[in-house]
Amino acid sequence: MSWAFSAAVLLPLLAASLVATGSTRFLLWRLLPWLPLPALLLATQVRDASVDIPWLMLGARWQLDTLRSPFLLAASLLWGGAGLYARAVLEGAERERWFLSSWCLALAGNLWLIVAGDAVGFYAGFALMTFAAWGLVVHADSPRALWAGKVYIAMAVLGELALLAGLLLASELAGGSVLLAEMATALGRSQQPGLALGLLLTGFGVKAGLPLLHFWLPLAHPVAPTPASAVLSGAMIKAGLLGWLVVLPLGLTSLPAWGTMVMALGLIALLGAALRGIWTREAKTVLAWSSISQMGLATLMLGAVLVEPALWWLVSGWFGLFVLHHGLAKGALFLSVGLSLPGAPVARGLALLVVALPALSVIGLPLTSGEAVKRWLKDSVSGDLAGAVPWQPWLPHLLSLSTLLTLLLLLRWWWLLRSGDGSTAVATLPWVAWLLLAALSLGLPLYAPILL
Amino acid sequence: MSGAWLPLATLATSLLASLIIFALPEHRHSIRTTVNILAATLKLALVAAMTWGVFQGRFYGISYEMLPGVRFVLRADAVAMLFAGLSALLWLFTTLYAVGYLEGSPNRSRFFGFFSLCVASTLGIALAGNLFTFFLFYEMLTLSTYPLVVHRGTPKALRAGRQYIIYTLGGGAVLLLGVVLLYQLEGDLAFRETGHLMGSDPARYPALIGIFALLVAGLGVKAALVPLHGWLPTAMVAPAPVSALLHAVAVVKAGAFGIVRVVYDIYGIDFAASLGVLEPLAWVAAFTVIYGSLRALWQSDLKRRLAFSTVSQIAYIVLGISLFGPLGTVGGLVHLLHQGIMKVTLFFCAGNYAETLGVHRVDELDGAGPRMPLTSLAFTVAAFGMIGIPPLAGFVTKWMLGRGALAADMAWVIPVLLLSSLLNALYFLPIVYRLWFRPLRGDWPAERALGRLETHALLLWPPVFTAVLTVLVGVLAAAPFSPLAWADLVALRMYLP
Repeated sequence: MSWAFSAAVLLPLLAASLVATGSTRFLLWRLLPWLPLPALLLATQVRDASVDIPWLMLGARWQLDTLRSPFLLAASLLWGGAGLYARAVLEGAERERWFLSSWCLALAGNLWLIVAGDAVGFYAGFALMTFAAWGLVVHADSPRALWAGKVYIAMAVLGELALLAGLLLASELAGGSVLLAEMATALGRSQQPGLALGLLLTGFGVKAGLPLLHFWLPLAHPVAPTPASAVLSGAMIKAGLLGWLVVLPLGLTSLPAWGTMVMALGLIALLGAALRGIWTREAKTVLAWSSISQMGLATLMLGAVLVEPALWWLVSGWFGLFVLHHGLAKGALFLSVGLSLPGAPVARGLALLVVALPALSVIGLPLTSGEAVKRWLKDSVSGDLAGAVPWQPWLPHLLSLSTLLTLLLLLRWWWLLRSGDGSTAVATLPWVAWLLLAALSLGLPLYAPILL
Repeated sequence: MSGAWLPLATLATSLLASLIIFALPEHRHSIRTTVNILAATLKLALVAAMTWGVFQGRFYGISYEMLPGVRFVLRADAVAMLFAGLSALLWLFTTLYAVGYLEGSPNRSRFFGFFSLCVASTLGIALAGNLFTFFLFYEMLTLSTYPLVVHRGTPKALRAGRQYIIYTLGGGAVLLLGVVLLYQLEGDLAFRETGHLMGSDPARYPALIGIFALLVAGLGVKAALVPLHGWLPTAMVAPAPVSALLHAVAVVKAGAFGIVRVVYDIYGIDFAASLGVLEPLAWVAAFTVIYGSLRALWQSDLKRRLAFSTVSQIAYIVLGISLFGPLGTVGGLVHLLHQGIMKVTLFFCAGNYAETLGVHRVDELDGAGPRMPLTSLAFTVAAFGMIGIPPLAGFVTKWMLGRGALAADMAWVIPVLLLSSLLNALYFLPIVYRLWFRPLRGDWPAERALGRLETHALLLWPPVFTAVLTVLVGVLAAAPFSPLAWADLVALRMYLP
């Protein structure tokens, strides 16, 4: 079993060495869409697995369970599709070695953190992904990209430090264990988990775009090459969420004060980011704000679980659905920004309608995964909190408002996309990549019940 | 005494090598290189054999009376093997590197003679069984490194050498005073894992505190504790292999190692804690950690930046020693090795940039990554290790130190560790960025073609190998015989008599 996990993480890591020479680079470009394949197989073929490797790092564990599987599935599909797109638009472009090595390393880190059951492995994957993704952010080498890179790396380093301190405290509470599950249990039992909780919420919050820690995100996500924006906003942003889910004492203890605060932050993100995004002038920046807004849904749910632990057993599957839903839809939306649209008016109009389809899911229209995500969330927070949160009666209305704002936000995106200049030569491969992700996103309600 | 020949043979290997090399005429470089490599390999094998024996609980040692009441003692215990293992391993790489680095330059007999002598002293320090023997080798190290620091003979080198000798001989004198006073008070004390002074008469406590301060101040010069660190950044004018020796293999480590011996094997960690000397030591170390990093931030010369980084990193070791409890001890001791492996890599790389491209300043490094990919990869790995990114060596250290601080109820150490990591990131990440991302600006200051690879093979492979080690000691930290496992063993023997 261990070899399957190792293969999933090591393949992209080792592939990075292929950037060295021209001929191996040619090979690497062809391999790029297939690098997440072992991870995809792992996500689909293995339900529950936990392998301890006592000699690795400070005692490592590979882990895959109902919580992690959807993360791995979403990440491998998205990285695969975006990899195909990257090959089509970036092969032979300037700084391709820089792009390829950053891409492979960030991918390896992203997969590693998902299947790590120990804090050191998680943190190692998280750091590898974060630092490598910086290479994707600054790739354009424009003043704007360099500035975004500076803000990105500063926030990333601060996040890493908060994380290190939080994990140290959690490990101390767990009697020195580095296993995430034991840390979560210890945090649940502790009388004074406050400092550790605050640090962990902050450390992962940087990545997840928690309000006040979010400002790097609309700078950094859009400035990367389009396929990199897709994985930044679709997959890597989820690492913060997964971090919270695996280390916080969910379902173990009630933390009303923390929970209410997290819920409030989720709402601010959900509504505020959507509102803010409407006023931006670039399709990709709109999508980045939309990501912050959508992550607000997950933050809101997380806060609800912190308030009411019993909720966890009902909604742990929700997070998996959310991750697949948002990851695939957001990936498709980002990829559509770089698609070459036909020049003829009718064909162009048709293409624009087609690329708008995944947006319907994000808005939450009936028959989409977005609708399922929102309904489940609405049911959970309106029923089970039982007055623990003072503004609970408002929640359903606020969620409806968020749907309206998301609609406006994505209309804005579509408007910006529409007014972009069309090109006559339509490249096929980017469309194939887009089609793959869009189909997976729109078909999610059909196959999700089988997976989750 | 049984088991006497192994420590003696280990010492004799480098002493003999040193004598042969001094005797060789300057132009016999192939014989000289053969002797060098043979001695380094042989010594590594001897140390490995001894380490295996110590692991199994075997005793290696020798003791005889030099003066009435003063004994010369060599003794291989677990902590000795930690330091001996580090120097023997890194010496092999440093020797290979030095052979490549000095190819074709004058006075190589002198250089390699003192080089061997220096490593013989380091092994002596590691294996010394009491303070007197320790002091003997400690001073021998000072004297054998001086010619290496001034090797180039330039006015700048001579000035650095003068400062080096003033600092270290001054420190030696203070150390000697402490050793003599302690001898008068308590007699000749052989190093012992649990210390000696637990049962001392409370009336002697003030004197013991004073002696502790003298010993640590004397050792603190080589360990570059602020404000005794002034010589270290100046001494970076020395050739790169010498910097590696000063910063990673021998000199600063000898100071830190001496503090380990004084705290654990003379005073005993419990007694030192009850005497109240650990907390001030922790403050000095914490201050040095931050100060060194802050100063490193403002250096534009690559080697000077690395030198201030050493000031900061060695203080991690002292910080770990001063955290009462096995976890702190493990963190401090493991960093003795981890810092050595990472810092030797960084100095090798700095030497490669200087020798191959003529680059000395950080802002000249633009585009060096594509020009020298393996060197730059090694540098990048070691830099990330220094910042403390998992799963590299520096992370293991920081994790153990952090847990040690929490266990010792000294949570204020955590912000110090975090701030230092932040500063490390601030002065290492821009270098990584320049190496890989910035395009080359015009010609290199002084480019030389050295062999078919990106640089001379003997300059290239040592840093690549130590960079691989930086990864391995972190990735395999929990495996048997990793530095962490060995530090665990040492701590176990220190806390469980």
